[in-house]
Amino acid sequence: MTVQTHEVDEHLRVTPITISPSTMIEWTKPEPLSPLVRRCVESLEPGDYEIYDEKLRNFLEEAREVFVRSGVTGMLRAGDLIVAVYTANGDLANASAGTYLHCVTAVLPVKFVMHKYFTNPSVGVRDGDIFYANEARYGGIHNPDQMAFMPVFHEGELIAWVAALTHNPETGAIEPGGMPVMARSRHDEGMKLTPIKVGEDFRIRDDMLDMMANFTSRAPRMQAIDVRARITGADRLRRRIVELAADRGNDFVRGLLAKLIIEAEDATRRRISRWRDGVYRSSAFIDTIGPKSVLVRGTLAATKQGSEITFDFTGTSPENDGPYNCFPHIVAAHAAVTMYAFQFHDLPVSNGALAPFNWVVPEGTIFNANPDAAISSSPMVNSLTVSVVQQVFARMMFSSEDRDQVTGNICCQPCAPLVAGPNQYGVPLAEVDSAILNTDGHGARGDRDGVDAYGFAYGHATRAPDTEDTELEQQFLRLYFRLRADSAGAGTHRGGMGTETALCIWNVPFAVWTVYAMSSYLPVTLGVFGGYPAASAPGISVHGTDVLEKLRRGDADIPRDSVELATRKAISGDYVFEHSNRPVRPALEGDIIVATTGGGGGYGDPLARDPELVARDLRDQAVTEWTACHVHHVVVDPQTFAVDENATNAEREKAREQRRSRGKSWDEFHADWEQLKPPEPVLEYFGSWPEGVRETPLARF
Amino acid sequence: MKIQITENLDVDVEARQWCCHHCGTSLGSADTNYKQGCLVAAREPDEVWQPHVDEQVTFSYHRDWCRLVEFYCPGCQWLVEVEVLPPGHPITHDIELDLDQLTGPVEGAR
Repeated sequence: MTVQTHEVDEHLRVTPITISPSTMIEWTKPEPLSPLVRRCVESLEPGDYEIYDEKLRNFLEEAREVFVRSGVTGMLRAGDLIVAVYTANGDLANASAGTYLHCVTAVLPVKFVMHKYFTNPSVGVRDGDIFYANEARYGGIHNPDQMAFMPVFHEGELIAWVAALTHNPETGAIEPGGMPVMARSRHDEGMKLTPIKVGEDFRIRDDMLDMMANFTSRAPRMQAIDVRARITGADRLRRRIVELAADRGNDFVRGLLAKLIIEAEDATRRRISRWRDGVYRSSAFIDTIGPKSVLVRGTLAATKQGSEITFDFTGTSPENDGPYNCFPHIVAAHAAVTMYAFQFHDLPVSNGALAPFNWVVPEGTIFNANPDAAISSSPMVNSLTVSVVQQVFARMMFSSEDRDQVTGNICCQPCAPLVAGPNQYGVPLAEVDSAILNTDGHGARGDRDGVDAYGFAYGHATRAPDTEDTELEQQFLRLYFRLRADSAGAGTHRGGMGTETALCIWNVPFAVWTVYAMSSYLPVTLGVFGGYPAASAPGISVHGTDVLEKLRRGDADIPRDSVELATRKAISGDYVFEHSNRPVRPALEGDIIVATTGGGGGYGDPLARDPELVARDLRDQAVTEWTACHVHHVVVDPQTFAVDENATNAEREKAREQRRSRGKSWDEFHADWEQLKPPEPVLEYFGSWPEGVRETPLARF
Repeated sequence: MKIQITENLDVDVEARQWCCHHCGTSLGSADTNYKQGCLVAAREPDEVWQPHVDEQVTFSYHRDWCRLVEFYCPGCQWLVEVEVLPPGHPITHDIELDLDQLTGPVEGAR
């Protein structure tokens, strides 16, 4: 095919937008097809798409494996990453991802470079260039998530882009760990790189590496190694795309990548069309903005009409002066966690799937904050997005052939303990315990319980790293690490269980620690259709303990779970009970930090659960006798786990009678309900009650 | 004709009424929130999650922060839906169907 110069220009063009954190979301829509690319798509032969789609997936999986094996951080090993290929003007064509977050946000820095620097002689885009970014203003999630991206040239033509991204748990912020709980503005959050060229001629510039290591001087080794890992992963993919172009030609690559986007959009629209038109709403709540325990609301009205869906987040809480804020493209990324994993799980991971979605995210809310806002805990505040998006899709999809994809919420209350300081080998480290982070419970389904400890709230395909590896590298020993009884939302089918661990500071004289968590006072992981939410996450720690002596003696009363630790107090020390989100503080060897992940949301009326399943759960310690009795109203012999059918029927009839007697008519209920209101300290950041409109100006310095 | 909309809810298309999927009891006009046709109760978190310690955090949730608002079918007492809400917070109108579209064919609908 003869390529005209003006056509080449057009297929490299990115739709101009006003560059700001609140407008970057506009680039999540695919670019219009240029005449050149359209012809490239049309020139694909029968079978080309099917065969080379699979080949491309193999390239992606290979690059991902290279990426993981080249790096060191726990989050990378857990699979909190993406390796992706883009069209020449920045649309995502396909990806291998452990988390779908970056399928949205990693598009934007590529488009930014094409928009601003491609024709800029002081920067330019040339074969062998290596770009890097971690600034959410230009498309990222938060600055721990760092991205390397490279143009793919063949025979002098820019034919694609590739990227590799993972989380680095140190950014040089006011606290170690990259997500400073006490951050009050962006200036507290450490290194933030706008899309920047860090290498040329396929070589990383040492001055750039030194700059990054200097920013992250608490743990420079992790930064220096994983920057190289990102670039190594991206470059492996780049090489494979070049080989493909050498084999089949540049137009073939252009056509294949565009076809993936077209197919994803068409299939997404067909699927949406078979759901019932209407408006579906959900509100969810969290109980922290980082520095304070306060009530925050996320509200979604999803209008589904034909093949389009509009997500309107009006009613969401005002932005705050903590780090629990974000920008609209970050909201879209968290919505995509659900969409790519459930509704469109079988389609190419491309931003063609985002084309049918429109977004209304009001300015001044936690979801569309001022550009100077602290946003480093944006994944935490987007627990709200993950929760409400799942809720509206459950209702939208049930009455269709996609019913099997309906679940109670996957756990959306992340729990990430982080310990910083020299480890037992004297190496400076600031590392998340990715083992507990990646053991959330999955949501219950209409025909089965949720998967226990399936992975990370936002990572459909992440996994807990080897726990003994984490003990070798990090500054702690685990007293226990196990599935947590009663953590799952109850229901006809229960959510998957979450886990619990107690980290004992070990083999170092001291360390500093923090825990990123939520849902101590109210749940964000919700059930559906009568299923209950997941359980509370208590913040517990013990200081000045005698655990080292007890371990040396081989005492038999070392606690086996958090309830036992908190109630029997076999370990002496100062017990602290507080909200699970805990700012950085010091710890001495022997201090204990408890961390708990959430279970998944339940599905259906808990009173309709098969009594034999309750007995099984009791035997497996998935539920306690208290829950079997008070929630499921099942009578089970605690020794033999045999169900007393008659007694259970009688208890359940009694429970239904209790529902009859406590249930009020709508009007009667509201006469009492409307008199209630949370205490004022709880509502400090909520805005007007119950509208949630800001009443006082926000001072941010 | 009834169309199942959720695990616990049908819509009677001709009568334009919400109905309990389990016993058929009418839950009111499908133009309005089906929750208006349910029995409603606000439950304390400690009724569903066992508190284990008497501290600032207890292993249960906090009554100042939330209640479980339960919606029961008045006919069979089935738990149709649960909302977690701060005390006094407005109830969510979670499903507002386009009833005119509901009567037309939808490819792939059950």
